[in-house]
Amino acid sequence: MGVDGSYPYIVALWLLPLLGALVLWAFGPQMRRVAGWFGSGVVGLSFVLTVLSWSAGTQNAGGAVGAHQALGSWFAGFHFGLLLDPLSLLWALIITGVGCLIHVYSIGYMDGDGAFARFFAYMNFFVFAMLTLVLSDNFIGLLVGWGLVGLASYFLIGFWFFKPTAVAAARKAFVINVVGDVGIMLAIFLIVANVHSIGFGDAFAAAGSFSSTTLFAICLCLFIGAAAKSAQIPLHTWLPDAMEGPTPVSALIHAATMVTAGVYLIARCAPLWSHNSDAQLLVGTIGGLTAIVGAILGCAQWDIKRILAYSTMSQIGYMIMGVGVGAYEGGVAHFFTHAFFKAQLFLGAGLIIHALANEQDVRRMGGLVKKLPFAFVAMLTGVLAICGIPPFSGFFSKDQVIYGTLQHGHPWLYAVGIVTAGITAYYMCRLLFVTFLGEYRGDVDPSDLGIRHPELAGTPDVHDAHASHGHAPAWIMNVPVAILIVPTVFAGWLMFGGDNSPWARFFAAEFAPSSLPAPAISEGLTAIVALLVVLLGAAVAYVRYGTAAARAGAVARLRDESVRMPALLRNAFYFDAALDLIFVRASQALGTFFSRYVDPHAIDGAVHETAISAGWLGTLTRSFQTGLVRAYAFIIVLGAACFIAYYALVGGTH
Amino acid sequence: MTSSLLPVALGNYIALSAVLFFMGVVGVIVRRNPLVMLMSIELMFNAANLLFMAFARAWMNNAGHIFAFLVITVAAAEAAIGLAIVVAVFRTAKHVDVDDVAMLKG
Amino acid sequence: MIAFWILGVILIASAMWTITAKKPVYSVVGLLAHFVALAAMYLTLSGEFLAVMQIIVYSGAILVLFLFVIALLSSGVAPFATGIDRLPKIAAPAIVVALAGLGFAIYAVGRSSVAATSGALTAAAAGPVGTAGVFGSVDDFGKALFTTYLLPFEITALILMVAVIGVVTLAGDSTPYAATEKQARAVRKSMREAIVRGGER
Repeated sequence: MGVDGSYPYIVALWLLPLLGALVLWAFGPQMRRVAGWFGSGVVGLSFVLTVLSWSAGTQNAGGAVGAHQALGSWFAGFHFGLLLDPLSLLWALIITGVGCLIHVYSIGYMDGDGAFARFFAYMNFFVFAMLTLVLSDNFIGLLVGWGLVGLASYFLIGFWFFKPTAVAAARKAFVINVVGDVGIMLAIFLIVANVHSIGFGDAFAAAGSFSSTTLFAICLCLFIGAAAKSAQIPLHTWLPDAMEGPTPVSALIHAATMVTAGVYLIARCAPLWSHNSDAQLLVGTIGGLTAIVGAILGCAQWDIKRILAYSTMSQIGYMIMGVGVGAYEGGVAHFFTHAFFKAQLFLGAGLIIHALANEQDVRRMGGLVKKLPFAFVAMLTGVLAICGIPPFSGFFSKDQVIYGTLQHGHPWLYAVGIVTAGITAYYMCRLLFVTFLGEYRGDVDPSDLGIRHPELAGTPDVHDAHASHGHAPAWIMNVPVAILIVPTVFAGWLMFGGDNSPWARFFAAEFAPSSLPAPAISEGLTAIVALLVVLLGAAVAYVRYGTAAARAGAVARLRDESVRMPALLRNAFYFDAALDLIFVRASQALGTFFSRYVDPHAIDGAVHETAISAGWLGTLTRSFQTGLVRAYAFIIVLGAACFIAYYALVGGTH
Repeated sequence: MTSSLLPVALGNYIALSAVLFFMGVVGVIVRRNPLVMLMSIELMFNAANLLFMAFARAWMNNAGHIFAFLVITVAAAEAAIGLAIVVAVFRTAKHVDVDDVAMLKG
Repeated sequence: MIAFWILGVILIASAMWTITAKKPVYSVVGLLAHFVALAAMYLTLSGEFLAVMQIIVYSGAILVLFLFVIALLSSGVAPFATGIDRLPKIAAPAIVVALAGLGFAIYAVGRSSVAATSGALTAAAAGPVGTAGVFGSVDDFGKALFTTYLLPFEITALILMVAVIGVVTLAGDSTPYAATEKQARAVRKSMREAIVRGGER
């Protein structure tokens, strides 16, 4: 895979963020404010190099797509290198481009934090890890990047380590991600056992020769990794908790890039999935399930970041569904647009949180359209994009996914996709209306709004933010958001035009265009149906939260809704409880069982019994040590008598 | 059958030897006087020697004689050592009863 | 043949006397009779050199050594536990085991074809007792001992040397602890206490 050659730009764009992280770790405190600009500049430079590598990444020489830079070999079959093909080029552009914008935004958001430089060191380290993941040309490198992004995520979720909730969330995310790492490891074992190579190319070339059981096992193990990283059911529970991290982290890691690594993995391993329809069905189903569950749970949240987190989960469900069923272009397209509009939504939410002194509960917002007009514009474009209103970007990519499921013969997933689009429109518009319309409710007593535990409602009372907010000029945070609005609005147009769209041509060499029979429902009709469902969802949200009457009685309505929220939704379908019951309690019970019965009686017991037996044996032996010479003689005679008896009874005749 | 060279059949010698040997055994175990115990050991040696002699005669092979000779030598060495131990015990305890020399009891 | 039975009776009787006599001197006398009878039995088995050895070494050296020790230790007090008056607990099972062993031994011999052997396999070598060059003579024995069995002979010499050194070490004048009666009492007391302690355990 890839045209071999020497590509210093690719190596440089890969290693620059690592360099930045090392410098920031070593000299960050001395750099003070410069640390932010330095971190952003490194990622920006990396972005520039990525753009300069465009032609290398898109070259196509007789089946070898993209650029391949060898790094070194371990032994036969274990060659390491960097691969920049259209798929990884796309990811690298998003990671460095969106990453750079979020870095700049962070300069304002994290201003005054005691660990300003450490934050940028972690962010640079994350960018490096993510680039390792997407640029690697082999499974081991991918796994290393996979693990390192998990580590970076752990660092950044737990960035405010003095908050017990942040520490718990970081730990949870890390543990669940490690479950995924183990899945990928098992997949690598299976692949190496079968093809004796870790390279993508070797594995994919042999994809057709695997037995279907083996291939399904490989795909399943890979998907465990993808599900853990991309917050797919049932390994999604860490993502909402991960919102304990600073908002730019949520935007970069838990919306735009890291959580889409699962999508990347499946798209990268497309040849494997294409050969196993069972695996496709499994992944597509899980993706669809995640999409709709995430959307439903998004309706039941009050914390602005948790709403966005469930929305992220739902949207990644779309992507997984797309790449799972084989609509790789569609899934990747949705990743592309989602990276922009979700980053923008998070950054917009960050603007609100920043302005309201770390208030995250939407019930205590309201009427912000007057206070924060720029944030409103940012959120509005983001919401329109995620809802899939033409001509915003989400419309095109989501349409590709939904239509792709039908094209590849999964009408149920098609239906799920359309319904989910409606629910998405509902909860996103709900977020928008509750936050920006009506009167400001920040000075209303929390209990009047149905907030049961105000101290738990997600108010990160952190660092010396209260004193320092506003020190950094507002444009530092506004400019990245403004820049993001452009692709949020227009990025989808790349996908317009069917097989001749720039998007399709970009990926033509990567994912061979499949000539599928035209389904019963045409793409245009799909778009119209989806749009109608979306408008319906938005209309419901408007009726409930947007009309003048609803706005006037917002306090009572929000209180009633909070109080009457079904326990099923309030507990997020009891996924946490179920995982706790199945895995944590079960292992605790197992541990208790072992510590209470097996350990004292078998493990320690064996030791004790050995000691007791030794003592008993000693007592027994000691009783022979009478010290009486004649007793010793007697024992000798006894032994001699035994010999004589033996020869008398057995031997003797011959 | 060759001409009879043993005064009686070999089995008689073996039986006599066995009887004498086990008399020595009983003597060692029953008596507490170390001197008598040593003498009983001599009895056992001699029972074995008798067997050597009888077999040597039966097979006309003088290896049995050599062995009996070596046994006598070893018996002499053993008696000397045993008596030396008796003397040593007597010197410290002024009394010799093997049951009293039991300080190695475990 | 008559000699065998007469000597056999004497051997058993003297052995019985040896192990049952109350005084060790009597045991020595029984043992002396035993050795002499055994020497006579060796003569009937054409082992005249061994018969002589038996008399010289056993009767002349070992038994005299026993007598010396008895004489040495008996000056003044009667140091020995005498007789079988204090039969130890193990005596009864010991006798049972010994008898069982004896029974098995005789049973084994009875089953064996060897037991019926009464003639030499190499009868040609036999000749008049005492004649040079014939079986059992000094000449025959000495040639075998110093040619074929030279190494065992040398090792026997080593054993004797070790025994001599051991005896000198154990009973020599350099024994560091020449006990007085008081000290000996203390030693006996500590021995008894050791036994008592052992019994308590």
